[in-house]
Amino acid sequence: MSTTFLPCGDYHQNYKQEHAWWQTQFIKGKMILLFLSLFVFIPLLANGYWIGVFNMVGYTILGALGVQLLIGYCGQLTLGHGAFIAVGAYASTLLILEFPWPKFMMDWGIAYPLSVLIAGIVAGLWSILFGLPSARVKGFYLILTTMAAQFITVDFFLTQYVSQIGGRGQAFSLPPGTMKIGPWVIDSNIRVYYVMIILVIFFCVIMANLIRSKVGRAWVAIRDNDISAEVMGINVIKYKLLAFFVAGFMAGVAGAFWISNLAAISPDHFTWYLSLSLVGVILIGGLGSIYGTIFGSIFMVVVMELLQLAVMPLSDTYPKLMMDFLFIKEAAFGLAICLFLIFEPNGIGYRWWQIKNYFNLWPFSY
Amino acid sequence: MKSKVLVFLSSLALVAGLFSIYACGEKPEEKGQAKVVVEKIHVGALNDMTGATSDVGKDYALGIAEAVHYVNENGGINGKIIKLHQFDYGYRIPEALTKYNLFKQLKCVAVLGWGTGDTEALAPTVARDKMPYVSASYSGHLCDTSKTPYNIFFSTDYSTQVRGLITAWFDKKWPQNPDYGKRKPRIAACYMFASPFSSASIKAYKDQAEILGFDIGSDQNVSLFAIDTKSQVLAMKEFAPDVVLHTNTVMSVAATLRDAYALKLGADHIIKCWGYDENLPKLAGPAAEGAIGCAPWAFFGQDVPVMDKVIEYAKKYNPGIALKNRTIHTVQAWANVLGLAEALKRADKVGDLSGESILKNGFETMVNFEVGLSVAPATFTEKDHRSQSEAKIYEYKDGKFNMLATVDLKKRWPDKWANEWLGW
Repeated sequence: MSTTFLPCGDYHQNYKQEHAWWQTQFIKGKMILLFLSLFVFIPLLANGYWIGVFNMVGYTILGALGVQLLIGYCGQLTLGHGAFIAVGAYASTLLILEFPWPKFMMDWGIAYPLSVLIAGIVAGLWSILFGLPSARVKGFYLILTTMAAQFITVDFFLTQYVSQIGGRGQAFSLPPGTMKIGPWVIDSNIRVYYVMIILVIFFCVIMANLIRSKVGRAWVAIRDNDISAEVMGINVIKYKLLAFFVAGFMAGVAGAFWISNLAAISPDHFTWYLSLSLVGVILIGGLGSIYGTIFGSIFMVVVMELLQLAVMPLSDTYPKLMMDFLFIKEAAFGLAICLFLIFEPNGIGYRWWQIKNYFNLWPFSY
Repeated sequence: MKSKVLVFLSSLALVAGLFSIYACGEKPEEKGQAKVVVEKIHVGALNDMTGATSDVGKDYALGIAEAVHYVNENGGINGKIIKLHQFDYGYRIPEALTKYNLFKQLKCVAVLGWGTGDTEALAPTVARDKMPYVSASYSGHLCDTSKTPYNIFFSTDYSTQVRGLITAWFDKKWPQNPDYGKRKPRIAACYMFASPFSSASIKAYKDQAEILGFDIGSDQNVSLFAIDTKSQVLAMKEFAPDVVLHTNTVMSVAATLRDAYALKLGADHIIKCWGYDENLPKLAGPAAEGAIGCAPWAFFGQDVPVMDKVIEYAKKYNPGIALKNRTIHTVQAWANVLGLAEALKRADKVGDLSGESILKNGFETMVNFEVGLSVAPATFTEKDHRSQSEAKIYEYKDGKFNMLATVDLKKRWPDKWANEWLGW
């Protein structure tokens, strides 16, 4: 599913071609168009609202990539991923607010990027801690242990102790100008958008490469049958923990990115609903697919916004409709999960793959 | 076939959404010369009908819509009408951010916000966008204009409420205790640690308790969703507090009062505004007897100026909801809407409805401005957005909310009010 059929008449001649990122000139052209769209056309054409919506999509993708890695590629069920996003967000915030950075690091915009990296590492290590039970338990029981991560991390650790650092009370607010990357202060939706798009592309590339490496193949083997994987000589515990670390790292970076979007955090940004919705995203998008993560996130955010905009013109006639929209949205999200599980269990990613291949093989598709 | 139907439905939703992006914009016929068009002022409203604070949020949301109808039907904003864009965001901060961006897209000039978590989270953004944000969060953190210049509300802030509650209990109730003069009074607090709303005034509570010489017990973590709080009450029982402070919303406060009553805690209860409404006696039963709370507004139906309009519009626009089920939270919503409407009128008079003008020519020109509804006169300055220094304290007794005291912190501690307490 991760591979694309080449257009009719095109064949790989060697392994290098088979492993190439962009396998034909046409694909290269499509990717250049995609990059242009992401970096030029969307920022030029979209207004502040849509840029804000895209930022939410990016945040969801960054959060869901880790869930995809754990569930979709490594078979480790998780329902506590919001906790690792929270750890990343708090680590980055505290590093910016409390760490005595040399002045030049703040002035040159090094502090925030460095805090993002450290936030990823801290969240990755924290994730390993809650991944340890995966050595002994799996399936439903692992869901429960990962859920514990949510409650222990957010409701207890972050709320009771971390939030009290500096005596600010529950909410941490970052003063204007503290989030800076090089000479650019991240102080508008459009700048947040560029940070988001770079992070999303970076992590999609990293993950795509990881999946087709030795590590990725070990994860997939563990997902498909952990006993067989062990028999083949894969150190199951090591690779499971590595999956938790990488997923936690990505979650930590997602959290650190989130603070650039709002410049403020409190524990209730990271409710259990966040963890649950990230699982919903990959179920809709498709398990074991990076495309699926992206499409699931777009579905979760953009389609819901479009649905809302669709009912907005009716608000003059039915004023309560807008107030009740959250019910509609939640119901639509729940219904979408059910419908996808029944009618398209492989998710939107699979549908995209089919459409793409239909055109690639046209007119001789089979 | 089934998947085709699925694709068709999804496409339909997408097309309808894209179409409505245009539909939401200015309609061509509105520019026509023959048609008389009333100018609209767009205002956004974030409310919680389904989330953690929906127990009090529903009534507040109804009040917002009714009050906007009242303003529009009584001259509007100097002839212009308010177009309200009201959304339920389920007390979720990412949802609040998306909705806030939508308000900007809809060219809203101000936002009627809701909870402390999202209001504090959005504070840097609204300051950057110069968007007046009239919240139902009365957190003291939002009053310091050096940090949150565009946040405002028409109420006693949480910290002042809590200081007033402790002071009123200390003045009125503690002298009646047999141990008065023999030992220090003991106080403990129940609130949800993770909630910025519940914990917003905890620092002020501890400070005030120290000022008045209390022994302070350990805090008890009570979720906003709590329906059983026996373990917290039993933990407090060892400390034997004379008075317990509650800063959650009414559902969990009622649960704590019931358990405290059942387990014979023997303490008085003092409650912040969102936990103290007409539903408290209904939910807590006899355990609510003697409960003391802060209510900066009149209770629903009390005989005070403008209340007749509140009742009239409640009947007119929500006839399906019996008046006996309406609460003080409707009145709170009216106070914020009427305050915002006044600010909009003042800004409109100078011909500038930008966010900065609404703040400078609207809110910050208010000196002892009265919205009615028994709300203390509001004054906002360039440096201080604490609208009032009075905490109105009530006691629930014999089936009624009776005024117990009015504590004016500015008069009692003028130095601390002016120099220490702003912004926390």
